[in-house]
Amino acid sequence: MQEPLENQFIKTNPRGNRLLHTRPVSPVTWGQSGAIMAFYHSGALADIVIILGILGIFYGITQVGHEWTGVLRPTVLIDLSFRALPRYTFFSLVRGLAAYCVSFLFTIVYGYWAAKDRLAERLLVPILDILQSIPVLGFMPGVVLALVSLFPGSNVGLELAAVLMIFTGQAWNMTFSFYNSLKSVPQDLQEAGTIYRFNWWQRLTQIEMPYSAVGLIWNSMMSMAGGWFFLMVTEAFQLGSRDFRLPGIGSYMSVAVEKGNVPAMLAAIVAMVLMIVALDQLLWRPMVVWAQKFRIEDTSDEETMDSWFLDLLHHSHILRWIGAASSFVGHAFGSLIWRPFQHIPRNMPGSSPVVSEPSKHGGPSRLSFPVVFSRVLFFLLAAGLAFALAQVVRLLLSVRTGEWLRLLRSDLLTLARVTAAIILGTLWALPVGLRIGLSPKLSRIMQPIVQVAASFPAPMLFPAVILLLALFRVNIGFGSVVLMLLGTQWYILFNVIAGAQAIPSDLKEAAASYRVTGRQRFWSLYLPAIFPYLVTGWVTATGGAWNASIVAEIVTFRGQTLRAQGIGSVISEAALGAKFAELAAAILIMSLTVVLINRFVWRRLYAVASTQYNLSK
Amino acid sequence: MEDSVLQPVLLSSENVTQRFSMPNGNMVTILDNITMEIRKGEIICLIGPSGCGKSTLLRILAGLMRPTSGKVFARGKEVAGLTPGVGMVFQMFALFPWMTVSENIQSVLVPLQLPREEVHHRVSTVIKMVGLEGFEEAYPREISGGMKQRVGIARGLAVQPELLFMDEPFSAVDALTAESLRTDLVDIWDEADGEPASIIMVSHDIKEVVYMADRIVVFSANPGRIRTIVQNKLTRPRDYRAPEFLAMVDYIHDIITTNELPDTPPAAVTTPSLPVYEPLPPVSSSDVVSFVEYLSSHGGQGDVFVLAHEFGKEFSDLINIVKAAEMLDFIDTPKQRTVLTPLGHRFASMDTEDQKVVWKQQILTLGIFKTIHADVHASRNGTILDDEVQDRLAQLLPNENPAFTFATLINWARFGNLLAFDEDSDEVSLQ
Repeated sequence: MQEPLENQFIKTNPRGNRLLHTRPVSPVTWGQSGAIMAFYHSGALADIVIILGILGIFYGITQVGHEWTGVLRPTVLIDLSFRALPRYTFFSLVRGLAAYCVSFLFTIVYGYWAAKDRLAERLLVPILDILQSIPVLGFMPGVVLALVSLFPGSNVGLELAAVLMIFTGQAWNMTFSFYNSLKSVPQDLQEAGTIYRFNWWQRLTQIEMPYSAVGLIWNSMMSMAGGWFFLMVTEAFQLGSRDFRLPGIGSYMSVAVEKGNVPAMLAAIVAMVLMIVALDQLLWRPMVVWAQKFRIEDTSDEETMDSWFLDLLHHSHILRWIGAASSFVGHAFGSLIWRPFQHIPRNMPGSSPVVSEPSKHGGPSRLSFPVVFSRVLFFLLAAGLAFALAQVVRLLLSVRTGEWLRLLRSDLLTLARVTAAIILGTLWALPVGLRIGLSPKLSRIMQPIVQVAASFPAPMLFPAVILLLALFRVNIGFGSVVLMLLGTQWYILFNVIAGAQAIPSDLKEAAASYRVTGRQRFWSLYLPAIFPYLVTGWVTATGGAWNASIVAEIVTFRGQTLRAQGIGSVISEAALGAKFAELAAAILIMSLTVVLINRFVWRRLYAVASTQYNLSK
Repeated sequence: MEDSVLQPVLLSSENVTQRFSMPNGNMVTILDNITMEIRKGEIICLIGPSGCGKSTLLRILAGLMRPTSGKVFARGKEVAGLTPGVGMVFQMFALFPWMTVSENIQSVLVPLQLPREEVHHRVSTVIKMVGLEGFEEAYPREISGGMKQRVGIARGLAVQPELLFMDEPFSAVDALTAESLRTDLVDIWDEADGEPASIIMVSHDIKEVVYMADRIVVFSANPGRIRTIVQNKLTRPRDYRAPEFLAMVDYIHDIITTNELPDTPPAAVTTPSLPVYEPLPPVSSSDVVSFVEYLSSHGGQGDVFVLAHEFGKEFSDLINIVKAAEMLDFIDTPKQRTVLTPLGHRFASMDTEDQKVVWKQQILTLGIFKTIHADVHASRNGTILDDEVQDRLAQLLPNENPAFTFATLINWARFGNLLAFDEDSDEVSLQ
């Protein structure tokens, strides 16, 4: 922590110390800025900010509580005035953050289980893979109905459904990242933990989570962004005759679009941008800077970011008390749960040779508490899955062959659109991303802008795009490609920028010194170098495009419904019309397509990327 | 320590064998029937060429790994799980980068569930012992390698172990720092009152081992076996230049070269018509050529250990190069010396084109190359896939990793213009 300027002055001026009873020159006399600096450094400002923040949170909680326990109104009237916007934004923010908390807990539990239990891993990882590929949005109506019937009198059911839907847009990435981090903790750190007898809790909190922190935080940033995508859809939709609406910025935008109220639409866009920027500055940036403490590499030549907000918080006294209190609680907790989990699990990564010979020391570890616990959980999970699978199969069997053919045709159409979207996206994102990534100055300026643009939920811009499309008389069959593109081109851009930044400078210098021309440089240096990143961008973008097809192939504008033939619109209609057999069949087909493409296209490309185009040898 | 009264055995291993299964299904024996003991009050060092399993043995003794067969006893009782009373120091320090120096040391005291004052007391004591006072709040990335290892040692001492395990602790720091760490460690051990009572250390530096150890266990590789255990009765403090010290170093050099570069070839050739399959040392052709040329311009001969020192290489790396050059008949290795053969002399003075011709001729005297070359020649379109070659190598050299042998084979064959390998199509063919 930075000491007040006065103390620093004393330390660097030894004579000042020896001059007894002489006060040092106060920095305040050096001008007004000195006074502000002194105020800043004294930590008072930080404490004020924190107190205000806590008060704000309390007020917010009461508001949210009021809203959640409010009586379920048949239709919520959305007030389109600007004054109502901050409240709506706040509600949406709360939903997003609540979903993030759920995602975080899910990540830790699921990722830990999958990484530590070899048997469960074989089931859990494929499930996660499938969950990533399934358009979970298709399940939304069913979930909403179920939850609303659980809480008939209040809004809680609807709110929970919204949070749950946003959660499904956030969780999978984070879980994969945590799982991968857990499996790649360096061997010697693992051994140090084992030899010094860390129990599972100490290992998790002192080795595994710190190691995973950087990945988790970056993925959290991306996941929050992913969660906003479905905001408009989850906050306002019609199911049969019922109109489900929650107060929030998504529903505000929906209503504004319905009524054709352009100023309101613009205001909503501005509010959304402001919320994203605020989250970035006040939450994510400070977390990323703080997480730099966990980086493993010794070299500090990566550009160190700084966060003005984090610096502000560092000066606070309140936070230091909170920090001390929480570490005390943490220690107490850790020693409390030491006893039941005293045995070190046998199937520890890196602790036994690959040879699978019968264990000489079968003994008590086989039946230790954590092993039994996870086995029971595993069988419950498997049983639940089997049951659900049986139900789904029954549903699917009721679909006629003619239906399947129609669905297949629609699927192929959507596939064509997804491919077109990716190609179009690459056409512009590749050169722009290269330009930005190769220039450090441009990167620094553009990075936050690109980040905000990527977090912005594309469906909010749909009305504007649809208007343009109608103006140019573009069929929705083609227009939906543009809509899909809007949401997913950022992934390609992001990754190309990252790839361009990662090109080793000696390769660039070699190209320059051998006077390689621009076009040749592109084909022989830049493209191969960023290829692995490009593939990652493509994979993420296609995933997003498939998901987006549900909201891009069927859109309502000024009371009209525009529909393109494709599997996305099939899912959307089936969901809203509660035609469950058709819904299940359509989701199955879409998921199968995604999984097949994963296996036959992306895996091959990744293999090529990691051997031939790998620059890290 | 006194040897008139035999100290109790703290840790012992009985017929410990470790086998490892390779991706192609073969079993490789890393350690073969290791029986040894560690007594109270001694420093014992394990030394041997790379791949002889000494680090694996260390982990088995510490309880981090379970051996394929054999037992480990701690004070007479069989060990199931982690060996009690153990601290460990790692080659790459294994410090937690997100914790400060004192937090790193504190973290290993948590499982001991000591009262707060005891924890603070121990942390400050060990920090003082290793000379890191003032650095308590530093993060590992702020301190040098030598200081990081001091933290590692402090961490090991903090749990007040009876046995301190060290896995090549000084190989990742520069020579000067390593010397000062060694001296400090011996001092700490001398002054320590049974905590730790004994140190077991893995190393590849012979001078280090002679400086530190009371007993030196020399291993040989493929499979890892104990060859000799040498008693080191020199009084401490030891002087690197004292004649007795140098004599002991020489003695160990001798043992190692007798093991690794025997004057008489191992495993008799039964019938001259049957090819003998010797494992290929994992070195590149350019290393061998440079070595032969170096010898030629430096008198045509040299001492293996002196040469290793001159090149700045570990002796086990150089031994591989020497083995390779010997297999190809460019040098002879009487005792510790390497001497160029007449062929070697001629080779060194040729230009690259001619060298390749001689190289090709020499590698074809080796069973492995003869057989693989014949295979490729006999194949239908003159090419074989790399997987088939590796399967063949696994058959002929069951104790070797076929992927490594393949890499060396291709490297040597390419230099001699004998074989070509297209990585894209995985095809091995004739040049």
